[in-house]
Amino acid sequence: MGRDRKKINITSKLIYSALLMICVGLIVVSYLFPDVLSPVRTAVGDFFTPMEKGITAIGSGISEKLKLFSDKKELIEENNKLTEEVNNLKTEILELGQQKSEVNFFRELYGYDTIYQNAQKVAARIIGRDPNGACTVFTVDKGADDGITPDMNVLAGGGLVGIVTETGKNWSKIRTIINDDSAVSGRFQITSDTCVVKGNKKRMDDGYIDVEMINLNAEVYDNYEVVTSYISDKYLPGILIGYVTNVSIDPSELNKRAYLTPVVDFEHLEAVLIIKAVRESLEGLDEE
Amino acid sequence: MIFKTIIIIFEIIISYILQVTVFTNLRLADVVPDILMILTASLAYITGKKTGALTGFACGFLLDCTFGPLMGLFALAYSTLGYICGFAHKIYDSEDYTLPVFLIGGTEFLFNLFYFVCFYVLRGDIDIGYYLIRFLFPKVIYTTMVSVILYRLLNLNFNLFEKIDAAKAKRRGGTTYDFNDFDLTERKKIR
Repeated sequence: MGRDRKKINITSKLIYSALLMICVGLIVVSYLFPDVLSPVRTAVGDFFTPMEKGITAIGSGISEKLKLFSDKKELIEENNKLTEEVNNLKTEILELGQQKSEVNFFRELYGYDTIYQNAQKVAARIIGRDPNGACTVFTVDKGADDGITPDMNVLAGGGLVGIVTETGKNWSKIRTIINDDSAVSGRFQITSDTCVVKGNKKRMDDGYIDVEMINLNAEVYDNYEVVTSYISDKYLPGILIGYVTNVSIDPSELNKRAYLTPVVDFEHLEAVLIIKAVRESLEGLDEE
Repeated sequence: MIFKTIIIIFEIIISYILQVTVFTNLRLADVVPDILMILTASLAYITGKKTGALTGFACGFLLDCTFGPLMGLFALAYSTLGYICGFAHKIYDSEDYTLPVFLIGGTEFLFNLFYFVCFYVLRGDIDIGYYLIRFLFPKVIYTTMVSVILYRLLNLNFNLFEKIDAAKAKRRGGTTYDFNDFDLTERKKIR
């Protein structure tokens, strides 16, 4: 009897070594064949998304209620400020409207690609953030069901947020440009010099990310606008990324580098816009 | 056994959801308390190596699925740490609320070192001083602070499990540890 029982008994060592083997197997498989396990990831995401959505909705509801209790004086002051700003903006819009027709004319003249202005956009709410990576990767509540595919660009407040890296049925994962793994090909709006905008968590503490590979002869100065470039194969051209400061010569003395202040406030991001257009790959263009 | 499993699965799901939604909004200086690690370490401490390793595996697997660059990386770390915490089950005391808090803090420290090696060193970023001050210590401290409260909740599991054990023993007719962790029998042998 006793011997039989011992046979059935699974020791913790055995379980642990089995788990270790599974883990190592998973790592090897997902390293060699990244797509094999994506159905599992998608399924897990699909399972959790409705719950995360619910919690986020409750959370934002509560924080909105809490905001109602905030100081009345502050609100009145803010209201005054905002009405003033609205008036200023209204006049500005009038001026800009006049300029717009001119700009459109020149755009057509130059053959500028305005795909991102005309493309359909989907608003999505952030429902989860990567707890370990300093919240530079997050998930949103729109996925393949809404026509979202990987490599779509993500905007918020007129600036580039990042790129969709993975989609499930009703969720997608977005990597922001401040993530250390992110590198965006950029272009100075004024001088048309190209550069590479790289995420940098360290620098982000001061509100900056890195700009590298600027031509040594490029005449760029503080507060120049950086937009996504035409040579990028994943980012649509002409999306505002941010403004440079602190331009200096790289230690290698082959090119210049600078800091960039993103236009997007990543700290308080709640919702984003996903552009439903993917940059056509170069191979596709060859076929045409 | 089934009851226990269901309860633990339920706890894992709740902690995961809270971790990625509520607690990421409660982040201080970009640091989020590691609820899944608190769960893994406390369950390992309360119930033993086996549950610790399995819970850790499940928690890590969930993180892998959503935010991991490689499947199995977090699962490896969490299950190993759960297994290691399980050794502390030998000195488990349901009234002790200080030891588990230190245990969780230590585990979180080890996990973050692992994270540093996997995500920073392998990419060529070896500025450990910056990582320690900016991310590791704040995260360990924040997690430990949250665990002071959370462990009290999780420790209710012990009473629950004991009740389930007692009910089952009654039904079976007397045997006391027929489906308990192996650790318990081991403990008796040592004594």
